[in-house]
Amino acid sequence: MHREIRHHIEDVLTGSQAGSGDTLKDAREHLAQCDECRSEVQGMQEQTALIRELRAPEDFAAELRPGFYARVMERIEAEGPISIWNLFIESAFGRRIAVASLALALLIGVYVVTAERSVEDSTLALESQQLPAGQTIVAGEDAPAREITQVDQLQTDQSSEDAVLANLVTYREQ
Amino acid sequence: MDHKTSEEAALVRRVQARDEMAFREVVERYQSKVFSIIFGILRNRNDAEDIAQQVFAKVYFSIKNFDFRSSLLTWIYKITVNECYDYLRKKRVRKLVYESDFSQEDAQRMEASEPAVDGSVPADTRLAQRDLILKLLSKVSEEERSLILLKEVEGHSVEELAGMTGLNENTIKVKLFRTRQKLLRAAGRLTRTR
Repeated sequence: MHREIRHHIEDVLTGSQAGSGDTLKDAREHLAQCDECRSEVQGMQEQTALIRELRAPEDFAAELRPGFYARVMERIEAEGPISIWNLFIESAFGRRIAVASLALALLIGVYVVTAERSVEDSTLALESQQLPAGQTIVAGEDAPAREITQVDQLQTDQSSEDAVLANLVTYREQ
Repeated sequence: MDHKTSEEAALVRRVQARDEMAFREVVERYQSKVFSIIFGILRNRNDAEDIAQQVFAKVYFSIKNFDFRSSLLTWIYKITVNECYDYLRKKRVRKLVYESDFSQEDAQRMEASEPAVDGSVPADTRLAQRDLILKLLSKVSEEERSLILLKEVEGHSVEELAGMTGLNENTIKVKLFRTRQKLLRAAGRLTRTR
């Protein structure tokens, strides 16, 4: 839209004669010659007419039921002061933030769990490599494999100690 | 216009200090205005009262943020229009249009799908036009929406708007022009997608 019209568009739309005489006259003359401006002004006039339809009807009685103030105060008491949580619960933006935060927390959770598992797996693999060849089947069970081996060793030591004691007893009896 | 020294400013300061009598005065002074603004936009009397209550509850909780740059009515008007749009968002525009309490005569005319006999626009066309303009107005900012509604629905002049908002006349003209252009562009996009 050209400058001549742009500056006087409100006067043109309201059909006002209040604008400064000559410039408004210039605007009308321009409008008569310029198709582009005329078409845009026509579109604006149609929209203005539609917006004016949002006026309450002339015969509308703006009378509220008695006790309106009391109902407003009841509502105020029920709502109380605005809580920070209302921002998350009531607004669409807040809800989006809440959902995004939950999704992020879930992703972090999944990452932490999978990362821990892979660390455990690599530790076990290292441990199984350190065990003697004959004990790899037991080591496959998990970390206690080493303890089982130590217990076995202890039991072996204990039985050889018993054998020595038995030999001594037999020797004395003889 | 100085909005800080008027009688209205004194009233607002009392409300900000949680003076219940002052708040009651504000409600009684503006309740009819608020109610008719809401009814004009939604055409539903029951919901209009409910939204009017919500508007004054918002006024009560937010009045401490009122900075006296505009008149109290302009500020309340903006809250009212925003509440109407919140309501429209929640109920969905299309559903609302068919729930509006238009007249019995309009309903009968719609059922019979006959054009209006008195040469006026048929009721179903009127509803579709309301639906359209409400949709278009949702595409501009809250400030732009309030300004154009104050101009076209409330019938205020550019000079009055300047006084009410604390902006100068040229700024008002530029803002109104930009709003009108945005509405035209939005209408163009809507027509192309249909």
